[in-house]
Amino acid sequence: MKIIVATSSVPFIRGGAEILADNLRDAFVAAGHEAELVSIPFKHYPPARIPDHILACRLLDLTETCGVRIDRVIGLKFPAYLIPHPDKVIWLLHQHRTAYELWDHPRAGDLIQCPDGPVIREAIRQADRELIPEAKAVYTLSKNVSGRLRRYSGIDSEPLYNPPAHAQLFYNGPAGDYFFFPSRITGIKRQWLAIRALAQCREQVRICFAGQADSPMQQAECVNIVRELKLSDRVEWLGMVSEEQKRALYANCLAVIFSPVDEDYGYVTLEAMLSSKPVITCADSGGALEFVVNHQTGLVADPTPESLAQAMDSLWTERQNAAAMGEAGRARYQDLNISWANVVEKLLC
Amino acid sequence: MRILIATVRVPFVTGGAEVLADGLRRALVDAGHQAEIVAIPFKWYPPERILDQMLACRLLDLSETFEVPVDRLIGLKFPAYLIPHPRKVIWMLHQHRQAYDLWQHPLNDLHTYANGAEVRAAIHRADTELIPQARGIFTISRNVAFRMHAYCALNATPLYHPPQDADCFYTRPAEDFLYFPSRINPLKRQDLVLEALARTRSKVKVCFSGPSAEPGFERKCGALAQESGFENRVEWLGAVSEEEKRDLYARSLGVLFPPVDEDYGYITLEAMLARKPVITCSDSGGPLEFVVHCQTGMVAEPTPEALAAAMDELWEDRRRAKQWGDEGRQRYDDLNISWGNVLERLLE
Repeated sequence: MKIIVATSSVPFIRGGAEILADNLRDAFVAAGHEAELVSIPFKHYPPARIPDHILACRLLDLTETCGVRIDRVIGLKFPAYLIPHPDKVIWLLHQHRTAYELWDHPRAGDLIQCPDGPVIREAIRQADRELIPEAKAVYTLSKNVSGRLRRYSGIDSEPLYNPPAHAQLFYNGPAGDYFFFPSRITGIKRQWLAIRALAQCREQVRICFAGQADSPMQQAECVNIVRELKLSDRVEWLGMVSEEQKRALYANCLAVIFSPVDEDYGYVTLEAMLSSKPVITCADSGGALEFVVNHQTGLVADPTPESLAQAMDSLWTERQNAAAMGEAGRARYQDLNISWANVVEKLLC
Repeated sequence: MRILIATVRVPFVTGGAEVLADGLRRALVDAGHQAEIVAIPFKWYPPERILDQMLACRLLDLSETFEVPVDRLIGLKFPAYLIPHPRKVIWMLHQHRQAYDLWQHPLNDLHTYANGAEVRAAIHRADTELIPQARGIFTISRNVAFRMHAYCALNATPLYHPPQDADCFYTRPAEDFLYFPSRINPLKRQDLVLEALARTRSKVKVCFSGPSAEPGFERKCGALAQESGFENRVEWLGAVSEEEKRDLYARSLGVLFPPVDEDYGYITLEAMLARKPVITCSDSGGPLEFVVHCQTGMVAEPTPEALAAAMDELWEDRRRAKQWGDEGRQRYDDLNISWGNVLERLLE
């Protein structure tokens, strides 16, 4: 089959969604199909730009190329999943979140702060409600994303899990004296919450952060909190690291901290499980909660510095317990039977 | 600098434009910039889809990402070069040729649609009004600049760039064949060369390489060779690797490149790098900016007879062929074609 994977991306930003799109294309090619990525640039501000981009996507034509039919379009991200096609299947990574569950989020909510925000929110919701059902089938990344789609748009869908890139290359090593926090540095990943928790810890807990900052401002904000709380010797900023470095950092950490706001899915949880490490997450972290079993494969804290600090202290002092939880996480990953072959089969049927 | 390259892409088709975009991106990264390609999918039929896609491009916003400015947008292909940006330069590969120099050309079809003329007028208007929004207008060749001036009365500066892996070309003693590397396509005119072969005095041999996307035209070429009974003087290699291609250039007696009004034409430059003379036609466009008649190759009228005469001349005087090839290489070196030059102009 000739397959196009249609997504949107912000130029110069590479995160989980971009990796997923590449992996999906590679999985189609590995299964003997011709597959290509179409990525439409997206800019979400000022709010009026959003309807422009919806319209731009609706104006594109991926039905055929040089007279040859394109057999299937797989839509991933808003607004690219709205590109029309008679044989489209949506595998929804997420809707435009600040028009939905993040609308009035105190840090992430951006539309709500603009005079035309409510109007634009309604336009987005209407486009999703009316146009998502054009697809032959709707899958999502996780139960969490399916739940939101049901709740806000009244559309049913099926969750379809995918493995992180190079899943087979993760390994376990001796636990060192640091927690590992790998994520893009941005408000909703809540690096700041982990830093504030650090200030509340009884133990001399250390955290290694890896990941690119969305903007220099985001990085500066975190660095300022560290300075203000005088934690410089207990925090390390590694920035962008290679895949090898990332796997080594997983292998040698004591545990992984992953405390985002209502994450869609979260490769970090799965990568920690593959590395046999326990995960500390928060009760409002979304997708991570589909995998972390509290006190069995990790700890689920309340999203407050105090609660998170307690979880961090507890793993820091009970290292044997941490190792056992890591092993249980690895076993759980195996039981879930997450594979690209399964994803490809579902998306093409 | 943070730089975006804006182009369009026909899904599942890779050609010179994709090679160029990627070459430019790599040159920018090597020079220490952050650079990415934004490729909008393009479908040119039915004609009203062109208008949709022009509008889609105008609706995109590449001015900044997460509040960090994009310092430069480099627009390459229609309609992606119409994407607005406060710091845009256009390095035009070509306009939508069906609306310009190829309008009513037998190999194209825009004029056959009921709304063809209307869409053509809209393209002309968009180009004429929106191209000047760029702060610099460059083209990949004089030919493309000349067309834009002729049709849109806009001035542009030609900016030559080297073929892929220019450093890897080399030469070898000439063997008994002329080399014609190109996609097998009516615009490249493999058929004209076959008709010329039927008229040469000498038993000239031609080696063709290149992928074929058009089975109809490929069959026509096969039939032409068979009819004339000179199948043993023609070789079809299909798609070849870059190494094989450079080897074929190196061992050839000369290179045939007679396309219809080519925008630029890497083949001319590759032949010059391999010290081989080039036979082209007086209506071939880009190659005429490089081939000096009877000095680095030959420029023939686009008729089988004239092309046959040029092929015979090269075939029969090997010493002169070699001399012209050497002069071609000298000319390439004198032109000072480099990515460094290109970047300097695009980023100034």
